[in-house]
Amino acid sequence: MKIKIRDRYRAILLIIMVFYSLFVGLINPAFFSIETVFDLIRTSSTSLMVVIGLLLVMISGGIDVSFMAVALFGSYTTIKIMIAAGIDSLAFAFGLSMLIGGFLGLINALLINWLKLPPFIITLGTQSLFHGIMTTFIGDKSFGAGVLPSCLNKFGQAVLFSFQSDNSRVGLTASVVPILIVAAVTWFILYKTMIGRGIVALGNSEEAARRIGFNPSRIRLFVYTYTGLLSGIMGIIYVAQVNALYPNKLVGDELMVVAAAVIGGTKITGGQGKISGAILGVLIIYLLNSTLILIGLSSSWNDLFVGAILVVSIAVSSYQERVKNRKNLIFTE
Amino acid sequence: MQEVLSVHNLYKSFIGVKALNDISLSISQGEIHCLAGENGSGKSTLIKCVSGVYAPDSGKIVLNGHEYQSLTPAQAIREGVQVIYQDLSLFRHMSVAENIAIEKLRFENRRIVSRNEIRRIAAEQLEKIGVSIDLDQTIGETSLANRQIAAICRALAQDAKILFMDEPTTALTKKEVSRLLNIILELKKKGLAIVFISHKLDEVFSVADKISIFRNGFKIGDFNKDELDEKKLSHYMTGREVEYPRYVRKCKDDRVVLEVDRLTRKGHYENISFKMRPGDIVGLIGLLGSGRTELAMSLFGLNPAHSGQIKIDGKTVKIKSPMTAKKHRIAMLPEDRITQGLFMERMIRENITSSIIDKVAKNKIFTDKKAENDISEQTVEELKIRTPSVETVVGNLSGGNQQKVVIGKWVATHPRVFIMDTPTVGIDIGSKAEIYEQIHKFADQGMAILFISDEIPEILANCNRVMVMRDGRCIRILNEEDLEKPDAEKLISELISTRAEEEREEAVP
Repeated sequence: MKIKIRDRYRAILLIIMVFYSLFVGLINPAFFSIETVFDLIRTSSTSLMVVIGLLLVMISGGIDVSFMAVALFGSYTTIKIMIAAGIDSLAFAFGLSMLIGGFLGLINALLINWLKLPPFIITLGTQSLFHGIMTTFIGDKSFGAGVLPSCLNKFGQAVLFSFQSDNSRVGLTASVVPILIVAAVTWFILYKTMIGRGIVALGNSEEAARRIGFNPSRIRLFVYTYTGLLSGIMGIIYVAQVNALYPNKLVGDELMVVAAAVIGGTKITGGQGKISGAILGVLIIYLLNSTLILIGLSSSWNDLFVGAILVVSIAVSSYQERVKNRKNLIFTE
Repeated sequence: MQEVLSVHNLYKSFIGVKALNDISLSISQGEIHCLAGENGSGKSTLIKCVSGVYAPDSGKIVLNGHEYQSLTPAQAIREGVQVIYQDLSLFRHMSVAENIAIEKLRFENRRIVSRNEIRRIAAEQLEKIGVSIDLDQTIGETSLANRQIAAICRALAQDAKILFMDEPTTALTKKEVSRLLNIILELKKKGLAIVFISHKLDEVFSVADKISIFRNGFKIGDFNKDELDEKKLSHYMTGREVEYPRYVRKCKDDRVVLEVDRLTRKGHYENISFKMRPGDIVGLIGLLGSGRTELAMSLFGLNPAHSGQIKIDGKTVKIKSPMTAKKHRIAMLPEDRITQGLFMERMIRENITSSIIDKVAKNKIFTDKKAENDISEQTVEELKIRTPSVETVVGNLSGGNQQKVVIGKWVATHPRVFIMDTPTVGIDIGSKAEIYEQIHKFADQGMAILFISDEIPEILANCNRVMVMRDGRCIRILNEEDLEKPDAEKLISELISTRAEEEREEAVP
């Protein structure tokens, strides 16, 4: 069985990561430790959560730039209620935040279906709208560690397989549990259920999907609501990790996640994308993010690198497309 | 033979236009039934009524003995109605297997899908037609012919009893077409009813048992294949005898405008040389893949040649891009007018003046609506574009009128050389005649035209010289005397396909 081009693309990403890590390790041997891996996973966990939702949206041929606002809205509102009512339950936090997130996602889907406008415009609008509603009507105050429900901090600090390293206990953040669950559920939805295949079909051709009996509006309803749910989860993970609640964080970081999805091989025109690719995309960005200091570069190099990878990966795939088009005598330049 | 489908006195109109008028038709098992008619004659509307896309205004549809006033798409599928649209409606990034199986699974309302089952369904269908193709390739990676097969298999997976195929052979090579036609005959043996729509009359005659002819929403009649020949068929389709006047060059100017000297692009075409004078209409004919479109692209600054020369007025020029081509007053009408020739959502005026927008602009900066209007009005009148106004959106015009807009757009640049890549593809016979007339007029005024076409009669009617290409080579240039001989048509068809049997081996065993 020959390796398909798409798989090859992910293999290349992986090889780049390995070589880069070797390079960093050579300069700074401290890099080679299980701690680094745990750290990388911890810092990237929030983005990993939302990139999975975004991936589904992009496969369906849409885009969502409001998920950070949704995550903030969901977590901020939930935690404010918890503080006011004195509730200290992790399940309540995740449950309510998911509910709010799912509801906001549903609004996105309804607007897209109703107005028949490009999802980018709609979600760009709802991004500001959701954030604006939150800061105007729900609250714009920050909450410090002292007032937050203690279950959040416990979750934020919780680790799996911890062991004693040189000077401290290290472990894998418990946030991987929800991420792994979500990744598995999403994989199942995408590959094993009819709605998942409908998402792919919709992204390939809306008209053809409709002709074989899929309902594009209903699929969009599912996809955006699902992304909203994941954003709700992500909001709580974020607050638990930073152990503080700010009304103006997250919003503005959407495009980095979109970039990660694209680097991971997700087609911005829809119809194609892999969960593993999107995860690799996020990890590669965070890897650069966290190691630039180790190889003696200031963090201002970060944007430069992320931008360069993005441009190169898009250039590679668009070049492949163009070669294919030229063979069919279609000239797009 | 048992009757699968019959329609009785079907009427359907759209905002005052009667698309179907009292249509009755009967199709039986194991029959290949061809629907013939110009664009807009009602064929597609009929298919859409039977497949449940439209509800007829009155009349009834009987499928397998069940009577319907109108159907839903789901009912139609349950009765075994399957339509393969011209665009095939496949999913580019999904595997062949999945494309074949998904509609069946979707229709069974499955919530969970299994890869093994998908493969099993797909393999089963391919076996039915005795073809094997790679199931794991995505549709985007597979050839057009295999896509066509995937679409057929998808229909079969749904237990099709009656299969509608809308112009299935348009983009296929000759060998692929004959394989497809064989598959269709095989399906017929299995008892499927097949309704075949094609503009290519030779295909119609090679497979059809019965032919129903439509014109302006009326059915003209049902015929057995042997009751008709091509001439009668086109007479019934248009309602008139269509005889195209033969082009004779009248231009007296014998200076060479365009000379192509040993032009080569490896893998596409080799050593092509020819000359064009004002008033020449040079036909360029060859099968898909013969290099004809590739050559035309090079003359227009796309797909650059590797060696050889292009001379204009005796001077060697380098045509690096369509912009330089335009500067040398070369125009090109592309094969696909919708994606490459028009701004479908803009007005006629904007389309026509788009090629000369810099010249009509005041001081080269501000657009000049009045000048644009005058030019457009004049073009519309000259080319007989049927439209309420120059402000009509191009997407709302018929195919023939759209093509006239593309021609008008380029004629506005006053080209000296006009390359026309299959200018009448998908255009009804009436508009064809008008387009030919215009082309002859341009040539009489001194334009040199390179006329690419698949249809030999069209080439014979319009060209005073014909270049035949095969496998990237120019194998013969026929001049006026050659073309006047009675066996010219036979000669050309032999020339283009001498080695058709050994034609490029396809990926399929």
